[in-house]
Amino acid sequence: MRTISYGQAINEALAEEMDRDGDVILYGLDVAAWGGIFNITKGLLERFGPERVFDSPISESVMVGAGVGAAIMGLRPVVELQYADFILVAGDEIFLKAGMWRYMHGGAFKVPLVVRLPSGATGAGPEHSTCPEAYVMHSPGLLCAVPSTAADAKALLKEAIRLDNPVMFFEHRRLYQKRDEVPEGDVTLPFGKGVIRREGRHVTVVAWQYMLSRALKAAELLEQEGIEVEIFDPRTLSPFDSGTLIESVKKTGACLVVEEGYRRLGVGAEIGAILMEQAFGYLDRPFRRLAIPDVPMASVKPLVDRVLPSVEAICDVCRELAA
Amino acid sequence: MIQNDRLRDIFAKALLARSFEARLIKLTAEGFLPPLLHPGAGQEVAQIAALSALKRDDPVLYSHRGVAYMIARGTSLSAMIADMAGRAGGTNNGKGGIMHVVDLPNGIYGESGTLGGGLVVSVGMGMALRRRDPGRVVVHFFGDGASNRGTFHEALNWAAVQKLPCIYICENNGWAVSVPTSVSTAVENIADRAAGYGIPGVVVDGADPDAVMAAVANAARRARAGEGPSLIEIKATRLLGHYAADPQDYRADAASVAQRDPLAALRRRVIELGLLDEAEIEAMTAAHEAEIDLAVEAVKAAPPLDADQAFTDLYA
Repeated sequence: MRTISYGQAINEALAEEMDRDGDVILYGLDVAAWGGIFNITKGLLERFGPERVFDSPISESVMVGAGVGAAIMGLRPVVELQYADFILVAGDEIFLKAGMWRYMHGGAFKVPLVVRLPSGATGAGPEHSTCPEAYVMHSPGLLCAVPSTAADAKALLKEAIRLDNPVMFFEHRRLYQKRDEVPEGDVTLPFGKGVIRREGRHVTVVAWQYMLSRALKAAELLEQEGIEVEIFDPRTLSPFDSGTLIESVKKTGACLVVEEGYRRLGVGAEIGAILMEQAFGYLDRPFRRLAIPDVPMASVKPLVDRVLPSVEAICDVCRELAA
Repeated sequence: MIQNDRLRDIFAKALLARSFEARLIKLTAEGFLPPLLHPGAGQEVAQIAALSALKRDDPVLYSHRGVAYMIARGTSLSAMIADMAGRAGGTNNGKGGIMHVVDLPNGIYGESGTLGGGLVVSVGMGMALRRRDPGRVVVHFFGDGASNRGTFHEALNWAAVQKLPCIYICENNGWAVSVPTSVSTAVENIADRAAGYGIPGVVVDGADPDAVMAAVANAARRARAGEGPSLIEIKATRLLGHYAADPQDYRADAASVAQRDPLAALRRRVIELGLLDEAEIEAMTAAHEAEIDLAVEAVKAAPPLDADQAFTDLYA
């Protein structure tokens, strides 16, 4: 099968969906003439024209708010926010408008909006580095996708554009150049269905995006020590595929969540609570988390590396859980 | 000048809106409705005149102050009471109360509960109308308070850049809850800010339905012709408190403001013009009260909403 990068896969998904449906529009700062600050939307302006692909001002509130308005009137807007951190700049529009417009108007509207959110620590400073999925997972009305491979990025984005609900689509910047096999043609993936990336008997590790690549490395190292790690990639956090996770935990009896968001009330905290409530009897070791230790992401690399969960840290916790 | 039959219609609807709102306040005092209504008394004439200049299928994002927008478009009275009362037969299944009335066949597209939150939504509505249904315009009503949200700047700027078919109507009643514009706002006229977006900004007297209608008709003509958005500031009169039971002890003119009631002025005018006489207005008021009685009875006879409605309408 052919291989393309995660970034190219997103570009292909956008192009194919815009080709398929004339109501899909794309806008954001730098997405049109420049092709996106991360080069993801290159060529789309030329192909689909300025009526459907256009630049916006640095106005995150109206970027997302207009997306809600366009969506309730029948368009399928895809908005790029450049940095996932900016969901907090557009907080009213994401959490109170996109998430609630349908609900508070008694189901009269559909909100088929996709907000693309490049995320992750790249040394861009405290306000341009985070993985703020937990805010989205916390908030009713929003769907949350966290694709980890090029194939998943393409299939989940195509699905997101077709869904009639607002999707926060996290794209990890450290994955943009990562190449994977991606099937040609119209492939989508359902939301709420995770995947076991690696099978193992001793410990279940939940990880996605950049932390998934670290978890996979850790699992390879641990294999040499006789520790078999099972790795679960949820693919979407809202909805979250707790069923597949619980089946895995039934087998391993131990669970570690590795995430790039803040630890306190993070995604891992929620997953831990799900396991306490629904799978307590299957856990024979304490639930564990590795996450950003509740400090902002600094700008320089040594400080960033200090707080990101490392392969070594993942190995250490897995050893404890497997002991 | 507005034609006589149109002026009579604006008066009749404003009179109904005033009576209906008074009933909602009475039902609130009686405990049948929750105290969540923000009265629009004093602002009905301008609200209805503004909508009289538009077509029924021009979408409206309304402001939280009052019910006259919905009266202007013909939304069911009983549905609005049911929305407040939590009874079956409302427009939003108990989710939005009176703040989120939705009536798509009549062009009522609801409201943002965060004031000024609708400004940015209306931009996307304009984008969609231009692409899918050119010739329609979206009108967004908001107050002077909401005009101090950052959304005002972002929305008007981007709507202007894109020349979207949007009409922005600021009802400046001088008060953001208890804070007067003298404390909150650096300019005399909100409409002066239009210059910063390169769009027309006009000020009209909220007691002058001719001026309001003419301004909105002009903005609609521009918008339909692809010339972009306009900002209209209505100098409005808030007769009552921010909410129905607001004691308004922050307000020096609370007692005297009734003398500036635009509906009373319009009443005098329709009488002077010979469009209606006192007896006819009394008969009209009695007919409105009877219509409201029927609506209230219908809601009181309707079952309470199933509490499990809390779980519906979230995802499509």
